[in-house]
Amino acid sequence: MNSDRIAISLDLINRHYQEPNRNRFESKYFWEELYPLIRAAGFRSIEIPYEPVWQFGGRSGVPMTRYSIETKYESAANYRAVLAAAGIERVAGVTFDPNLFMRNDNLGFFFGASGHFAGEALGHAADLGADYLAISPSPYYGRAAHYHPDLEAKRGVFAEKTTELLTGLAEKATGTGVTVVMRQDYWSVFRGDDMAAMLAGLPDAVKLDVDTASLTIAGIDPAAFVESHVDRIGCVHLTDTDFVDMGETWKTANPEFPEDRATQVFRDPGTGSVDLAGVAGLLDRVGYAGPVTVSARQTRDPFRALLRTRALLNQFSN
Amino acid sequence: MPNIRYANMCHWKSIPYRRIENFRDFYYEDRTNTAYYSDWDTILKYQTALGFDGIEIAPWDLSDILPLFGSPEAFTAFAKKRGVEVIGMFHGAHASHDAGHEEEAIRAGREAVDTIVKFGGQYMNTCPTQNYCGAGPLSHKEVQQCAKVLNEIGRYATDNGVKIGIHNEFFCAINLPNHRELIESTDPRYVHYCLDTAQVAILGEDILTFYKDYHDRISTFHLKDTASARQPDSVRYSRDPEITDDGKRWFWEPGLGELDLEGLYRLLKEHEFKGWMSIEYDGSPDMLASMALTRYHLDTVLRPIYD
Repeated sequence: MNSDRIAISLDLINRHYQEPNRNRFESKYFWEELYPLIRAAGFRSIEIPYEPVWQFGGRSGVPMTRYSIETKYESAANYRAVLAAAGIERVAGVTFDPNLFMRNDNLGFFFGASGHFAGEALGHAADLGADYLAISPSPYYGRAAHYHPDLEAKRGVFAEKTTELLTGLAEKATGTGVTVVMRQDYWSVFRGDDMAAMLAGLPDAVKLDVDTASLTIAGIDPAAFVESHVDRIGCVHLTDTDFVDMGETWKTANPEFPEDRATQVFRDPGTGSVDLAGVAGLLDRVGYAGPVTVSARQTRDPFRALLRTRALLNQFSN
Repeated sequence: MPNIRYANMCHWKSIPYRRIENFRDFYYEDRTNTAYYSDWDTILKYQTALGFDGIEIAPWDLSDILPLFGSPEAFTAFAKKRGVEVIGMFHGAHASHDAGHEEEAIRAGREAVDTIVKFGGQYMNTCPTQNYCGAGPLSHKEVQQCAKVLNEIGRYATDNGVKIGIHNEFFCAINLPNHRELIESTDPRYVHYCLDTAQVAILGEDILTFYKDYHDRISTFHLKDTASARQPDSVRYSRDPEITDDGKRWFWEPGLGELDLEGLYRLLKEHEFKGWMSIEYDGSPDMLASMALTRYHLDTVLRPIYD
């Protein structure tokens, strides 16, 4: 796989968890200094997590909402010009997860807010010329269960409303050049058979996202998953991990931080145990030509992660 | 018992664990200091070690804290076991100046009071409405509407053992021209004031004059320093000025800015202030270092004046 086509996600910057110097991530200068460094690490394209939290309370320095981009750059076109001047040729994709809106026992609020902001994320993706919107179809199972102790009894309603939301998004995406892809999060309400059932009920336009670490954590071999879903794959996330969920961590309130034993679930690419080069080779062999994005979420040092990731990609055969 | 007890306004970002049992192994995974900022057990130990036996939480903490601990009461018990009590929660009275949002603003305020009661807190420091940009300038009628909402929330809070305190941000739609008007339009039986020393100085008030004028309304403080007092309208009324594009800090640890905090402490002594004082470190690159620097300044400069 030619690594020039691989984008890197801006999720390598820790916006949400405490660590010294985290405050700088909220200012515009930090990001404008980051873009040329991403290019220097050999990446020509980026992925942007869409995070509505940055438009609340006037904290728009993090370039992860439409509001933030309009506040700081007036338009997506101006923002793209800033990226281009830094050597970032394009925004490959946008991601969205609805965890922010799972905050009370009102499902109407959850689906209303999630639907609205997923639509905003889609519009933003289109404005940025992105290929895909990768959306998590549910919040953390454990967070949903906290606010909805009867979650299992509501599963049918939950699935129905999620299907409606994704179908609506796919309709909105028609003609925008953006493909809606459904993420396979190991912490999702919809896993295994539930995910398959949901997929069957969605229009063909909704594609699948392959996240190598998330599949591995759930005990699914990423290579086998690629082979069995090759016609439905709309995006691939090359993510790494050393963690396999043997204790139902996926059902906990904060599943990316296993409560029984602290660990960095998502490792910097190349430092975990997922055979990322093998998956990349398989994608070539099956003729997959869609978007591929590498992610170092949860890294403890974003600049080291950039170089670690490049060092890994340099080992991929072209 | 000292007259002043010290708390921290919680500006820790998400803390993902309650307690890390495998601390050494977690550290060795990537040999960085992440382990030192990842569990509440450790964070609360920092507070206790540095003499801050209260914590004021923020509403944006709830979506992490509640699923992690299961309930407000469980978080409070966990903190108390480590020598820290929850003294209250910040609240934003969004759109309180808008009569069309009256019911919603009062409902949200009452719900926040209910949450504080569950945490065992006693203060709800409240930003009176949203940012100036997009809402200001407010008319006299809108300021009165804001006061009406705060009075209603304040009455409910008082009935439930909670004191609400107006907490003005320098970029709020309640701003220099109507800040005092709002205070004087609220009912002193129900609505108090949280003096955020830096915010009010940036707004354009002299903090000593302000304290002298309103000392009988002040329920608590957000103590912090600034080197940017009296900012012009063009800054305060601009869009999203709180986080600057170039990383300029509005707020500094007590003693690292230019405010006359020693003068303030002399006034606290004169008026015999008794209660909680929250230290606030928004904008700090290192919360633990800020906490330690603050403790040093308190012990060597401010507490000798009035304790």
